[in-house]
Amino acid sequence: MSFKSAVITFPGSNCDRDALTYLKDLTHGEVFNIWHEESSLPNVDLVILPGGFSFGDYLRSGAMASKSNIIHDVIDHANNGGYLLGICNGFQILTEIGLLKGALIQNKSIKFLGKDCYIKKKFDNKFNCNIKDTEVLQIPVAHNEGNFYCDQETLSYLQNEELIAFEYCRGEGSIDDGNINGSLDNIAGITNKNRNILGMMPHPERAYQDFHVSKDGKKIIESILS
Amino acid sequence: MNDEIILQHGLTLDEFKVIKDYLKRDLTIEELGIFSAMWNEHCCYKTSKKWLKKLPTSNEIVIQGPGENAGIIDVKDNDGIAFKIESHNHPSYIEPFNGAATGVGGILRDIFTMGARPIATLDSIRFGEISTDKTNYLLNGVVHGIGHYGNCIGIPNIGGECEFDQTYDYNNLVNAMAIGHVKNDSIFYSKPKTIGGLIVYIGSKTGKDGIHGASMASDVFSEDDEDEKRPSVQVGDPFMEKLLMEGCLELMSSGLIESMQDMGAAGITSSSVEMASKGNVGVHINLDKVPLRQPLTPYEILLSESQERMLAVIERDNNEKIKEILKKWQIDYEVIGEITNTKRVVFSSNEKIVVDLPVDIIVDDAPEYDREFSLPKKRKQRNFDTSKLNIEKMISNYMNNLNYLDKSWVYNQYDSTVMGDTIKEPGQSAGVVKIHNSEKAIGASTDCNPLYIRINPEKGMMYTVLEAYRNLIASNIKPMAITNNLNFASPLDPNIMGEIVLSISGLSDIAKNLDTPIVSGNVSLYNQTNDRPINPTPVIGMVGCNSNWKKLLQNKFIKENDELIILGKSLDSDFSPYFLQDQKITSSICEFNELLAPDIDLEIKTAKFIQKAAEKDLIQSSNDISRGGIFMSLIKMTQKNLGFSIEVNDEKDIFCEYSAGYILAIDQKNKEEVFSILNKDQIDFLSLGQVKLNTFEINSKKFNYSDMLNMYYKNFYKLIN
Repeated sequence: MSFKSAVITFPGSNCDRDALTYLKDLTHGEVFNIWHEESSLPNVDLVILPGGFSFGDYLRSGAMASKSNIIHDVIDHANNGGYLLGICNGFQILTEIGLLKGALIQNKSIKFLGKDCYIKKKFDNKFNCNIKDTEVLQIPVAHNEGNFYCDQETLSYLQNEELIAFEYCRGEGSIDDGNINGSLDNIAGITNKNRNILGMMPHPERAYQDFHVSKDGKKIIESILS
Repeated sequence: MNDEIILQHGLTLDEFKVIKDYLKRDLTIEELGIFSAMWNEHCCYKTSKKWLKKLPTSNEIVIQGPGENAGIIDVKDNDGIAFKIESHNHPSYIEPFNGAATGVGGILRDIFTMGARPIATLDSIRFGEISTDKTNYLLNGVVHGIGHYGNCIGIPNIGGECEFDQTYDYNNLVNAMAIGHVKNDSIFYSKPKTIGGLIVYIGSKTGKDGIHGASMASDVFSEDDEDEKRPSVQVGDPFMEKLLMEGCLELMSSGLIESMQDMGAAGITSSSVEMASKGNVGVHINLDKVPLRQPLTPYEILLSESQERMLAVIERDNNEKIKEILKKWQIDYEVIGEITNTKRVVFSSNEKIVVDLPVDIIVDDAPEYDREFSLPKKRKQRNFDTSKLNIEKMISNYMNNLNYLDKSWVYNQYDSTVMGDTIKEPGQSAGVVKIHNSEKAIGASTDCNPLYIRINPEKGMMYTVLEAYRNLIASNIKPMAITNNLNFASPLDPNIMGEIVLSISGLSDIAKNLDTPIVSGNVSLYNQTNDRPINPTPVIGMVGCNSNWKKLLQNKFIKENDELIILGKSLDSDFSPYFLQDQKITSSICEFNELLAPDIDLEIKTAKFIQKAAEKDLIQSSNDISRGGIFMSLIKMTQKNLGFSIEVNDEKDIFCEYSAGYILAIDQKNKEEVFSILNKDQIDFLSLGQVKLNTFEINSKKFNYSDMLNMYYKNFYKLIN
């Protein structure tokens, strides 16, 4: 059976086309683009909440999108074990919905950060199972609110349950000085307890083609498909 | 109407007399507002028109030259590239964040108004001495504003320039450029076609922001000042612009509208007048129908510069379908008037006609001046004493000057990779994006060498264009066309007027020589505070294409032991203005030698060679030589642990400027073939050295590799804090 996936577009999403292209190029299956006002999702294996500034980031990043019509079905999809990936603004939306713990607050530098960053895998899950523990991925980030924050209890929970998927590091792999935005424990991406929902700040859909900075972003889709 | 009101509207009494003699009646205050908006420098180019006519604006690849919202060139296979640069200098000084942000918003609207989807932005920003708090505040605000707007709407910023010089202390410059992709058979123009067609308003509600000369408005027209003192700088909302862009592009592809015009400077006035003028028709607009954010008088509605608004013409039958599409994007939409056959611009409010003017007088009879100008004096030739310089001092002078350092502090605040098609990000010789779903690479560079132009406007302008040209060639992008943003001080000063006239003449010459016509542009005059004019700063944006992105040249070293060679001719220290200024030999503008004439034949010959060798995969990487000479060009080519070892006759030479200058890195196995082509093409070259691991070596003198790179990449952060 061929792999099916969908990308949700909110007003202000600006990485929806990038995510659609990424899925089409790498899954070779059917890819749907779903407008936020739709009430139901087609039957798919993976849903991406793309990056951007949904609803202008007014109120708080991701806050208004988390109340969109389609979100009920996105929650159902995840509760039924479907894969759900939130990238950048998508990660922010997932924390606003409550599907993922913590929050993304303003970067420590109080400036937008658009550059390549390095991340590596922390704990194993379906989104990173094809990536070696020592491997360093080079992937662009572009965010103003990417600084992962939560209370100490939640942080311990994420550590103990092994829900941290990716952490920022330096090019050669050391964690020291690799933190680009002030995130607690260098967290770049986390999953839910069932490990079928991943939120991450870096943009894998900007790192997979020949002319991109790297092809490391491929590894996430390859992991899911494996 | 008394003289004071007329003068407050920026019209001269002579200009007013022309209008009155034509109309043979008194003007309404709204009509005076219209002339004030349409007859100013920004809209009618009254000072520059005479000279701008001399520019080459067409060749076989130009689909649309100046006169529309943006210029468009043909890059084959039905692909067109729309682009334009525009200034937001004055607003960015008053309110840097919103001034710069709305500059980006305005230029993006110019692109998508033509049916093109924006695919990249660039910028060109200039500030005064960084040591002042004011400059720091302006730099932070402007960069934040440009970033905020572009990042939010999701268009990658792929390059630009950022210069610091004391002549910009009281007049910083913010020029924003945008590039869009359009199918050549789906271009939209502002010319309406159908008499009786409906004029519709799309986008944000109209408010008081940007009403020209807020001070004037409050002095004369308002009793309750409180409300009127709102700043006259427009406030941008990139989220609304994103919705407007998607809504308009969907409308245009649906075939439901026939023409479109964005409401930029002078808002609804200039957009409707231009529509009427282009179509040789009339317009009748009911101002009571304009969606408002707050109660406004007809005068205020006419002159508001609220952002994110469009005017379109549609056939009556399509009204309901359009409403449906825009509802999805939550955009205001209102029928506000219709196209008439009267060739008059008519605005009514409260069932009263407030404006009724023939289009002709507003557009065709707009003033055109032939201002007095003077030519620069002949310069005495002199030799400069550089004996006190040694290599350490020269390195230190450049590495502690913001203008030479890596600007990642700036461009890391921009999203350069959104849309997924960016090939070359800022910090390289040119910015490059791929046209989505194609192999074509579109490259662009913004440039200006104000010091050169100050010394000799004509030749200096040529050097400016040639620098952009080399930036594209160094990436193997074929330069195709130009957009310009002529920033100058007051044209009422004959010396400044001379700079304007001569630099346009230089631009015209070089554009003809390179066959790169000027397809769009903008003029910004009066950039001066009291007696302090800015350096002449005619910025150009050059755009080009390579039909196969895989043939692009990298600008960084690729591997160890590659051979480094130099093409081009050194200008020598006596004729390198930036070298003399920044090595602190002289700072007095009257002391510089006359610029050497640029060697255009050599530039073209060298460019052709690089293109040929790149297509044959004979070059590993290349970089052009500009301000900072071979030395700075080499530093920019280092990456990871790949450094260099070079030998030169005179160490001073590697810090001087060049004509047709490039550094090429060539694989040893291709060396003989490259040398033989160079010999055959009769192009002189010099062997410089090799790429070496973790090495920074000049004439056997070893410098610490990571210390040098740290200075280049980190000193900007240190110097601005």
